[in-house]
Amino acid sequence: MSDGGEDDRRNSDNNAPKRAGPDEFGRAVSKIAVAQICESVGFEGFQDSVLQALSNIAVRYLCDVGKTANFCANLAGRTQCNVFDVIRGLEDLGSSEGFSGASGVDQCIVSSGTVREIVEYVNTAKEIPFAQPVPRFPVVRNCKATPSFVQMGETPAGKHIPPWLPAFPDSHTYIQTPMWNERATDPRADKLEQARQRRKAERSLLSLQQRLICNGSASPSTSVERCDDAEASRAAEGNPFLASPLQFGEKDVSTVVLPAKLLDDLVVDNHVSVLETFAPAIEAVKNSFVDSGESEKNVVPEKRSAVHFKLRTGKKILGESVDLRLKNKSVGKVVSWIGRDEERDDKKRRAEYILRQSMENPQELTQL
Amino acid sequence: MNQNQGGNDARHDDDSALSDFLASLMDYTPTIPDELVEHYLAKSGFQCPDVRLIRLVAVATQKFVAEVASGALQQCKARQSAVVKDKRDKQQKDKRLILTMEDLSKALREYGVNVKHQEYFADSPSTGMDPASRDE
Repeated sequence: MSDGGEDDRRNSDNNAPKRAGPDEFGRAVSKIAVAQICESVGFEGFQDSVLQALSNIAVRYLCDVGKTANFCANLAGRTQCNVFDVIRGLEDLGSSEGFSGASGVDQCIVSSGTVREIVEYVNTAKEIPFAQPVPRFPVVRNCKATPSFVQMGETPAGKHIPPWLPAFPDSHTYIQTPMWNERATDPRADKLEQARQRRKAERSLLSLQQRLICNGSASPSTSVERCDDAEASRAAEGNPFLASPLQFGEKDVSTVVLPAKLLDDLVVDNHVSVLETFAPAIEAVKNSFVDSGESEKNVVPEKRSAVHFKLRTGKKILGESVDLRLKNKSVGKVVSWIGRDEERDDKKRRAEYILRQSMENPQELTQL
Repeated sequence: MNQNQGGNDARHDDDSALSDFLASLMDYTPTIPDELVEHYLAKSGFQCPDVRLIRLVAVATQKFVAEVASGALQQCKARQSAVVKDKRDKQQKDKRLILTMEDLSKALREYGVNVKHQEYFADSPSTGMDPASRDE
């Protein structure tokens, strides 16, 4: 069986998957049956729309016969139809084109022309069974019935409710219960902890800055010691930004030292890895969760080893320089950076990155 | 009495013919499957546990569709013979009988069914218009 003439419609149908309509299966089966009948009549090809129209008409014929037969049965006071109801239904539908004996009123229905025509048809027409086995449809699903009070083992909520009725839904489905947060949160403690972490971050940044200045100096040990003293005194005072300003000559401040690039002979003497330099800071961050109190512990050790510099040509790295980072008041960012145990490696990497940047941007160092 | 007996005999004959026919229906398998017929009959309220009645309805529907199809076939053949009158060559080529909407609508008109089909479907309101007047 081939379709003639309407190929474009078929192509457009194949592109988008269509959702099945309510009676898709029945319609498809009737389409096949109708096509088989037409083929037996003598047709060799069909248009798709014609097939749909004809199958629609066949289905309507079926439904009309059923309706009329049911009506006749109800008229006779029955609910189940018998052969006479069916024959009356067929006569009703066939009366438009007429059949022999249609005008006869008092003859038995058994001998009506419709039946005779059908008998003739059965005897003459070829028997063509349906092409494929059709399952029973529509498929009936067993729906789960709501259990009764007795089945649930509950007593109904009132004496007027018999126990064989379906049970009420559980109370949690319609009564709103408040949601409690499991963890006990103390907002005051949280704020204190946050402030403490911020202070620690500020201290670390300051000490970093100091170390960068100190390690840029010519003599490693003395300047480092001086830096240590400066840092120690500063750290001991707590928040250095809130401390009272120092008078001239009160503190022994290291002299301004030219950066490594401009001094040819002094740089090679420093041979300490970056990790060792920042090991105290990293330790301090590690211990931040251990010490519970807000102690202003001095994290900087007394002795400081020299720093090893990597000499590189002044290559500007895209991104923030150390100077900008210090100027940037995003303390919150630093807090999140510092306050986590899992990101120790990350911190080490960041420290190296900062140092690398400061090495490669010697111009910024002079501004410190 | 004779009349009545004659009438009774006739009725008996008719009854027996019908019952024989219904019995023979069980051997005959209609093209329309039983499940389909049962589905649509149940949808319209027809209740009957007897399979023979289902078969009867199926056969009746099959007969109806076959009649409509044969009417359309006659229309198709008539049209082909009208066309072929001029050119004898087409007779050999155009032997394929294809069921078209025109033939079907003509055949169904006898049965009181009015089937009107769209000639064509346009993609958009501007299909088929001049490219110059079409809004892009």
